[in-house]
Amino acid sequence: MGDLMFRDTLSQTTQPAREPSDETANSKIRKRIRSGLVAVMLICVWVSVRLPYEVESGIEALLNGPNRVDPQTLHLRGEFVESNLGTVEEPGDGVTLRMIADQYLFVPQCVLVPTGVPIRVRITSADVVHKPSIKETGVEIKAVPGYVVETHLQFARPGEYEMPCHEFCGPGHYTMRSKLIAVSLQEFRNLSQEARTNCALR
Amino acid sequence: MLCARRLAGTRNALNGQIGLPGIALGVVSFLLASANLMGSDAPEPPVRIPSNVAWTAETIAKAYSGNALRGLLVARRCDRCHGREGFSSNPRVPNLANMDRLVVWKQLDDFRSGKRSSDVMQSIASSLSLQDTADIAAYYWIMPIAWDPADDRAFPQPLSDPRLEAVAVRLITAGDGSRGLPPCQACHGSVGWVSGAPSLATQNATYLLEQIEAFASGQRRNDINMRMRSIAAQLTGEERRALAESYGAGLSPISSPQK
Repeated sequence: MGDLMFRDTLSQTTQPAREPSDETANSKIRKRIRSGLVAVMLICVWVSVRLPYEVESGIEALLNGPNRVDPQTLHLRGEFVESNLGTVEEPGDGVTLRMIADQYLFVPQCVLVPTGVPIRVRITSADVVHKPSIKETGVEIKAVPGYVVETHLQFARPGEYEMPCHEFCGPGHYTMRSKLIAVSLQEFRNLSQEARTNCALR
Repeated sequence: MLCARRLAGTRNALNGQIGLPGIALGVVSFLLASANLMGSDAPEPPVRIPSNVAWTAETIAKAYSGNALRGLLVARRCDRCHGREGFSSNPRVPNLANMDRLVVWKQLDDFRSGKRSSDVMQSIASSLSLQDTADIAAYYWIMPIAWDPADDRAFPQPLSDPRLEAVAVRLITAGDGSRGLPPCQACHGSVGWVSGAPSLATQNATYLLEQIEAFASGQRRNDINMRMRSIAAQLTGEERRALAESYGAGLSPISSPQK
């Protein structure tokens, strides 16, 4: 019995393949068209989801210029030279806070910002990825070497916030902590340029 | 303003002779001049650059390109203060034996450009070519730190107060998170190294203390990205003394960058 079955299956497999009829060919073509349409639709969905972001980042890049910097020469030229760090008042509304993160300090190590005005934070790293996180606010800013990362913040009331590094960056990571102090706009304006730049040294 | 008035004068003179084109020329030049004046009126903060050295691939390659044999000859002018084999007999002068090549390169460059000031070193550094600098760096880098009974070195010096050791060990190995002070060993060895950070394991106490004080007061400001100024300014007087004396007593593990 078993021998018979074996022979039977053998004869089935050795049967010459039949020529595909027109119907099966048509269905194959239809299948291909359908999968092609699905692919096109998926691409359309992806593009329509991504498009606003791409346009926005494109416009941002056009407005702000390229956000690339050389991490090795931050102290020599460009916006992250030593004398340009810290909080500065902009001609329009708000302030800009420029910071460098490097192993194992944030420069300046203590920053002052005014409350009630938009703060534009521009940060970059001189060596590896760091991530200052402003405690009790849920704000985390990833500092990436080679790029300027920009974030917008606003503080409602004065206070002192811890700003530790939340991305492992080497053997000194666990003490890489800085401070952010939010003061009223009036108090901020009364301070000297030096005091606004680095409150760790005052 | 003077410039604008003079331009107005030329405009009048031109007006008499050439007429309309003269007026046009005068107006254009007046506008240009006023634009120039407005540009110079805007307050520009002075750009402060701590050091001209940046650790780009070319700079590192240049600093490593020294020939220690040639350095042996060039470095003879350093013997008087830094010792024949890089160990000084004067505790105010840094020991250079086994110092990383990038450190010697950067400090000599900073002396040359005036970013770090020293009456003695600035004139010596300006007499050195870039090749000399690399050669000297290579020479000191291969000098051993093993104790030699024949030479007259200030290192190591005993602690003035044994209680300082505990203060220093805590800062060297753990730092102080509450003030954001990283452990010294994360950059100065033996746990981690940062380009341009000197090994402190065989450094003289008096020299170290003077440098910490200089960083804290802002008198020395050639540290890239304000690393040492930020740290030194936050150390208390006792901590500064403890760190300098502990390193100067040879209490930290001795090692050099693996490069």
